[in-house]
This record gives sequence, C-alpha cells and structure tokens, in this order.
Amino acid sequence: MMVFIHGGVPGVTPYASGPHIWGRQDGELVTVTGLTVEAMTGSVRKAIEGKGKCHLIGHDLGGLLALNLAIEAPQLVSGVTAVASVAASPTGDGVGDLTFAHPPKPLWSRESQRWALERISYSHHHIDDELLDACVAAAPKPMAPETYANEFVPSLMKAKSRFYEVCRMEGIKVPCQVIWGSHDPLATFDHGQWLFRGIAQKQRVSQFHVINRTGALPFREEPAAFHQLVAAFNDGL
Amino acid sequence: MTQPRLPEGRWIDVEGIRTRYHEAGKGEPIVFIYGGNFGTGDSASSAYTWSNQIAPLSERCRAIVFDKVGQGETDNPKNDDYTMAAVVRHAAAFIRAMKLPPVHLVGHSRGGYAATRVALDNHDLVKSLTVVNSGTLSPGVGTNEVVLAKPPFAAGTRECVRWVYENYSFNPKVVTEEWVDAVMHTLSLPKYQESVRKMGAEKLGSKLFLPDLAREKRETLQWINEGRLQRPVQVVWGFDDRTAVIDRGIELYDMFAKHERRALFHVVNQSGHFPFREHPERFNALLRRWVESLA
Repeated sequence: MMVFIHGGVPGVTPYASGPHIWGRQDGELVTVTGLTVEAMTGSVRKAIEGKGKCHLIGHDLGGLLALNLAIEAPQLVSGVTAVASVAASPTGDGVGDLTFAHPPKPLWSRESQRWALERISYSHHHIDDELLDACVAAAPKPMAPETYANEFVPSLMKAKSRFYEVCRMEGIKVPCQVIWGSHDPLATFDHGQWLFRGIAQKQRVSQFHVINRTGALPFREEPAAFHQLVAAFNDGL
Repeated sequence: MTQPRLPEGRWIDVEGIRTRYHEAGKGEPIVFIYGGNFGTGDSASSAYTWSNQIAPLSERCRAIVFDKVGQGETDNPKNDDYTMAAVVRHAAAFIRAMKLPPVHLVGHSRGGYAATRVALDNHDLVKSLTVVNSGTLSPGVGTNEVVLAKPPFAAGTRECVRWVYENYSFNPKVVTEEWVDAVMHTLSLPKYQESVRKMGAEKLGSKLFLPDLAREKRETLQWINEGRLQRPVQVVWGFDDRTAVIDRGIELYDMFAKHERRALFHVVNQSGHFPFREHPERFNALLRRWVESLA
C-alpha cells in the first residue's frame, strides 16, 4: 500500500499543509500530528500499523518522518520516496532563504497562502480553488515560538543527525528514492543530490530523480511525471 | 537467476549494409543503440549489451536492438567511412528500413551520442530520447583513459575483456562468462578484425574517427543548446561510473532541461557504466513507465 505523508510545520510554514496537499492519490493520506519529529513519526506509525508493509511517500518534513520510520520500524516499510524533502537534506551552513520572507497578513488567509504557494512553485497553475479552500480550512494554530525553538527545532536536528549516522553506519534497510524539483526555491539540486548520496552509502536500491520545471511541490506541478516515477519504483521493488 | 536471452537475430539490408537485428513484442517501438565503436581490440559491443532489456520489455512494447555499422555482426562501413557520422546515418536508415513509426530511442555511451544525433537530424523518426551514461555526448571531460588505459592483459584475450568490463562496472560480478563470450565472438569475426586493422594499423581511428567526432560533437552540443531536440528526453546515469562520472550526467540533463518540459533525470545507485546490466529490473521499470507515459 502507498501511504502519503505531508510536510509543513503547523503554524510556522506559511501555507497549511496536510493530506490535501497531495490532491487525489491512489493510496492512504495520513494526517501528521505532534510538536516534535518523534511525536510526528509516532503519529505516522500509528496510522500504518497493522496495514502490512507500506511504501511511504513523504513530502519535505514528511520525507524525514518516512525515513525515520524506516529506521525505527523497517518491518512496516517496503520503500521510501522522499519528495522535495528539504527537511531531510543536509542543513550545512545555509544562506538565509528569503522565499517566505514578509508574508502578507493576515497569515494563513486565502491570499497569504496563495502568496506562499506561488513562491515555492515553478508555475502558479496548480494553485486552484480546491487547494486554497483546503488550505484555508486547514489553517493552523500558530506554534508558540518557544515550542518551535525549544522543542521542534532540536527534535529536527536530532532526527537528521540520527538519520545521517544510520546512513553512514548500518544503512537505511529499505529501498529509497529521492525526487527533486528542478526549480525548488527552498533547496538546491545539491541538497537533493546529497540526501541521495547519504542514503546511497549503504542502501543498494536507491535512486535520485529530478522532475523538470517544478518547484517544492513536484507532485502537484507535474503529476504525470511524479506518478511515473512512483509506479516505476513500485515495479522494481 | 536465469538471464533473459536475445531473440534470434534477423538480417535487413540498410542502404547496402547487411545489418543484424533482434526484436520482440508488439506496441510502442523502442530502439536501443549500444556504445563503443568499431575497431577496438580490447573490448567490443554488440546487440548482446541490451540482452536484459529486449525480452522483458517485449511484454508490453516492441523492443528492437540492431548492430551498428561495423559492430557486432553488421557489415563494416563502405568506402572506409569509419566515422560516427556513418554510424548515425546507418542508425537512421535502419529505422527507416524497418518502416517503424516514431520510436523511443535509447542510447548508451557512444550510442547515447548516436541516438541524440539521429534525433537531431531526423525528428520524424523519433518520439522520445533516453540517454544513458554517455560521456561521448556530455560536454565535460570523459575519463575512460584514466580508468581503462593499458589493460594489464593482452588485447583480445578473455582476461582483457573481463578486466575492461569489470572496471566499467560497480559490481564486477555482473561481468558474466556469457557477456565475455559475446564480446569474444565479435572480436573473432574476420570483418571485425579488419576494422581493428583499419582503426589501429591504418590509423583511421586517430586520423578520421576522432577528429570527425570532435567536429560533429561541437555541432551536436550547439544544437542541443539551441533547443533543436524538440522531443521528450530523459537522462539515466549509473552513480558509480568512473568513466563518465555523475557530473557529466548533470551537465547533460541541464542542457536538455532548459528547452524541454518533459525532461527527467534518474540516478541509479551501485551502478557503473551499464546501469541496465547492473540493475535491469529498475532500468526496465523506468523505461517502460516512460514509454507508457508518452504513448
């Protein structure tokens, strides 16, 4: 079974992600809950337990949750597809990213979310009423700044550090692919490539793919190409 | 695991060149072009290179591989035209002679260059292009010489052939006895030995083939940069290829992607120069889904 895990940090990411971000998919769309990466991973685990081995497809932070679960409970996971997973890619000493700087207020209003989605897309055409309605309906309660700084961010750094340690040592135990948008303003081609390189150190079945003319939501901008890659990965598992 | 077998070869006259090909299946035609060139004494490509693709892909497509002019079983070029231009003309003429509708062209290494040039010269023959680990086509520096210079065994021996393909590969175990047998068979053909003499002793390799390729490559890269390909394109790369490193694939993909929306880049881990031999099931899945998406 394919399981789709959305990304986004509620109340921090200036568009409200959630199961709706995937549009229509042939699989189960999970709702991630929790304030730390551990708790979020736990919510995904709870959603898939008892459903046999799942192919986890995670966007951004959802990609890290999928990889985290593959480390924690490989018996539940047949494969991982990490899509535009900036959260899982190496942090490095990055240059400050201005993509989401100065969002129009009120935050998480329809117009503010449209603004944010346009900024992370190659083209605005996928941003339709259906998506905006769902984003507005999912408008989150802001995460308290101290929760974000004291709980979420440290949990993210800890999870990434553990992930790259596992990549280097025993390796991720399930097949993985990394799918990247050619024009993702939140992360460079190198971010995607180095996420793949991390996994590729020990996992034989790992692939890296780039979908042209897409930003941070390649599955929305080029759904046919995205499905082609997911289906081919399933075929080869 | 039993390796898929190439279907029995057939012959077709391609503008006076007796040409060997193998085909299986019905549906969207995929034509494979392997790498290498005529007249190499320490290795030799033939249709066998794609033996893991033809039968498996024939379940849903019409999969075709032919021997390039001067390689495998196909006749040597006429009038000593030992050039890549002759290879490209012959490949296009083969597709025409087979009366195929526009094909999904898949080229590896030097065959990746040939496939691209066939597409650039003959748009009507080509529906999509797949380029696999092609240092010949990529603008950057190929590193074959660095990796494969002066094999430590005599040219033309099984040991030499094995050494060359092992050094092309991530996992040397993929170089099976059957693969070496196929290469040795090509090397044993009198007409192939003639091409070795032409390219080596008669110096057509250095006097004709390489300068002609360099000239044509400049034009080919210019044409790609101008956006003349005008067809969906994907670049597939074995991550661990030391002769055409991953940076070569990225450069190539960037050139195509500037002009073509339907441009995909795929990297396959634990694979050297021949991802379709090291990971046939993954390569075939990617190719089949690509063809289906464009059908």
